[in-house]
Amino acid sequence: MTQITKRNANKFLKNEYDELVKNHFEWNIRVLESGSKPHSIVNGKEVIMMCSNNYLNLSNHPRLIQGAIEAAKKYGAGSGSVRAIAGTLKLHMEVEKRLARFKRTESALIYQTGFAANSGLIPQLVGDGDIVISDELNHGSIIDGVRLTKADRAIFKHRDMGDLERVLKDADRKYRRILIITDGVFSMDGDIAPMDKIVKLANEFGAMTYVDDAHGEGVIGEDGRGIGSHFRIEGKIDVEMGTFSKAFGVVGGLIAGSQDLINFAYNKSRTWLLSGSHPPAVSGAQLAAIDVLETESEHVKRLWDNTKYFKNELNSLGFNTGESETPITPVIVGDSSKAKDLSNRLFDEGVFALPIVFPMVARDKARIRTMMNAGLTKNDLDFALDKFEKLGKELSII
Amino acid sequence: MSEKIGFIINPIAGMGGRVGLKGTDGVLDKALQLGAHPVACQKAEEMFREFSTLSKNHNNLLWVTCSGVMGRTVLEAAGMKNIQIVYSPSGDTTTAHDTQTACKRFLDQHLDLLVFCGGDGTARDIYTIIDKKLPLLGIPAGVKMHSGVFGINTYATAKMLLEFINKRLTIGDVEIMDLDEELYRKGEWKVRLFGVARGIIEPTYIQVGKACFESVSDEEVKDELAEHVKDELEKYKDWLFLFCSGGTIDSIAKKLHIEHTLLGIDAIYQKQLVGRDLNEEQILALLKKYPKAKILLSPIGAQGFIVGRGNLQLSPTVIKKIGIDNFIVVATPSKLIHTPLLRVDTGDKKLNRLFVKQGYFMVVIGYRLSRVVRLQTNSF
Repeated sequence: MTQITKRNANKFLKNEYDELVKNHFEWNIRVLESGSKPHSIVNGKEVIMMCSNNYLNLSNHPRLIQGAIEAAKKYGAGSGSVRAIAGTLKLHMEVEKRLARFKRTESALIYQTGFAANSGLIPQLVGDGDIVISDELNHGSIIDGVRLTKADRAIFKHRDMGDLERVLKDADRKYRRILIITDGVFSMDGDIAPMDKIVKLANEFGAMTYVDDAHGEGVIGEDGRGIGSHFRIEGKIDVEMGTFSKAFGVVGGLIAGSQDLINFAYNKSRTWLLSGSHPPAVSGAQLAAIDVLETESEHVKRLWDNTKYFKNELNSLGFNTGESETPITPVIVGDSSKAKDLSNRLFDEGVFALPIVFPMVARDKARIRTMMNAGLTKNDLDFALDKFEKLGKELSII
Repeated sequence: MSEKIGFIINPIAGMGGRVGLKGTDGVLDKALQLGAHPVACQKAEEMFREFSTLSKNHNNLLWVTCSGVMGRTVLEAAGMKNIQIVYSPSGDTTTAHDTQTACKRFLDQHLDLLVFCGGDGTARDIYTIIDKKLPLLGIPAGVKMHSGVFGINTYATAKMLLEFINKRLTIGDVEIMDLDEELYRKGEWKVRLFGVARGIIEPTYIQVGKACFESVSDEEVKDELAEHVKDELEKYKDWLFLFCSGGTIDSIAKKLHIEHTLLGIDAIYQKQLVGRDLNEEQILALLKKYPKAKILLSPIGAQGFIVGRGNLQLSPTVIKKIGIDNFIVVATPSKLIHTPLLRVDTGDKKLNRLFVKQGYFMVVIGYRLSRVVRLQTNSF
C-alpha cells in the first residue's frame, strides 16, 4: 500500500520562523547566569543591568528569599490544584488581604500572571453591545484581552483627554456598558496616563475604568502604591491591575478594587479558574515584598534618586529622553539601525539596554529603553553614562 | 541592477499657479505670456538631490526616462547614474500626448515604480495609460494636488522613494482626482474621483507577540472592514445604505459580492443593489421610498475629504435628509496616517457648521474597531 502524504503538518513552523529571521523580528534569547542583579552575567559577560523590570532590586532582597524558602519548607513545592478546587492555601488568602491593605482598596485578587489577569478579566467585563475604549499605545496583553470579547473597540489618541471625551460622547448614545482601559505607566515612553482626568470623565459618562499599572506598581505613588496613590484617587479606579513580576521582584498578576469586583473576577475569569495556583515559594516571596514596601521606604527612594540623576545627566549630555516621568527612560536616537547599533555597542562595553524599534515605536523614534534599578550605585550610573557619551558621539547621536 | 524606476516630468506643470491661472491645462500660451517660469524641473531636481543625500547607495538603480526636459536633464543635473531613454518628444513644448506616449513605452520596461513630477492633471494623464499596472509616486509640482499619489513635499517624496526601495513601504490603492479647471478658474470647485491607482503606502502592523509585529496587507485590512460593514447591513436590515465612491468602498462592496460603481454612489437595500451610479435627484427619490438610510464613505484623495470632493452627489439636501449621525466613515490605517484630519465642504454654510459642531468622526479602521479622527471644514 502506498502512503499518500496529504500535507506537511509542520512545515509552517520553520517557514514562519525563517520569515521572522529574515525581517530581523526574531528574539535572540540572552541567558543570565547570575540571576537578575544590578551587575548581571549575561551570555558570559558582566554587564550593568538596565533592561530588567526588577526596579527595586527586590528579587535579590534577603527577606524575599527568606520568605520563599520558609513558605516552601512549610507548604511544599507546589499547590496541588487550581485555586477554585483545592489549590487555595491560607498563604494565598494572606497575600491578597495584605495586598488590599497596601493598595488601600476593599479587596484584591492574585492571578497567575499579569497577562492572565488581563486576558481573563477583560472579556468578562464587556460583551456584545458594549464598547472598550483604549489608549492607542496600550500593551499587547490588553489588546489580546479585548480581542476575546464581542465588544466593539474604539481607540483614542495617546493620553488625549479631548479625544477620549469625543469617543465617550459617541459611545454614550450607542452602548450598554463602556469600559475605559489604559496602561498606567506606558512601557515604551515611560509617561503616565492622566488617571485623575480619566476617572473624572468616566464618572461623567458612567464608564468603568481599568488601569494596567504593571510598570507603576511599586514605583509611583506613596511607597510604590501605584497609580491610584500617585493621583490620590485610591479606591476610585474600578479595576487597578498590576503585577508582582516587576518592581515587586517575584511573579504573578493582581487586581485591586471593590469586593464586588473581586467576587465577580474569580468566579468568571477563565485564566484564574483553569490554571494552577502559585507555588508556596512564590506567595511567600510576594508577602515578603509587600512587607518590604511597607517598612523599607529606601528602595523606592533610591530608585527615584537614581532615575533623576541618570535622566538629568543624559539630558545634559544632549540626549533626547522624550516625555518620560518614570524610571523608564528612553534614549531616542532616530533610525532603527542606529538604535540596534547603539544597543549592541553598549552591551560590548558592559551596559545591557535593549533597543525599541519600528513598528513598536514610530519609524524615526527608535530608541534604547533604559530601566532604572534601585540596586545600581552612582559609580555604576557614571560608568553607564560614560559609555552612552562615548558611543553617542561615535554614532553622531549627540 | 536591483530596481528599475521610471521617471517622467510634465515640464509645464505648475506654471499657471504663479501667474494666478490655477492650472496650466489648455492655457499654456497665456501662462507663458504672463511670464510663467517652469517650476516642475526645479522641484524634481530638488527631490532627487534630497534622495541622493538620504540614500547611501543609489548607484544600483536603473532610471528609465525620456530625453531632455521630460526627464534626462533633471536626473543628470541631480547626479543620477544609469539612465536609459525610452522616449524623446518631437517638438519644443511637450503635451499630454507626449506624457501618454512615454507611459506606453514605460509599460514595456518591467518597471518597479514610476516616479513623475507634475500636478493632478499629469497624474490623470499618466493614470489613463498606466491604470493599475505600475505603482506611481508623484513629486508635487502642479497647481493642484488632490490625488493620493503625491508626497506632501519634495523631501517627503524623496523619503517615500527611499523607503520603497528599502522595502519598508508597500503598494496599495490611492485615488487620482480630477478637478474641472475651466470651472475652477471661474471660482468653482468641482473635484471628482477619476480613478484608483497603485501607489506607495505605509504598511499596517499588528502585534503578534510582545515585541513582535506582522505586517498586514491592505487586502486583509479591507477584509476586516468588509466584515464590519456586513454586520452593519445585517443589524440595520430595513435601512438603505448608500455606498459612496472610492477604492476602499469599492473593495468592501466587492468582498460582499455587491456590484458597485467605483466612481459613483450606489444604493443597497438588504444586500441587494437598488440603485446604481446615482445622481442627487435619484438619491432623493430613493430616500422617499426608504426614509431610514446610512451613508458609507471613505476619505478620498490626499486631503481627507469625505464630503465635498469626489462625492458631489451628496448634496446638502441629501445629507440633511440622512443626518450626520448616519454617516459610517471607514478608512484603512495606512490611509489615516496621511490624513490626520477629515475635511468637509458641503457648499452649505449652515450644514458645514453642523459638522464643525460635531467636530470628529469615529472612523472604522478594522472589524468593530474605530478611532477618533477630528474634522476640519474646508478653508480653501
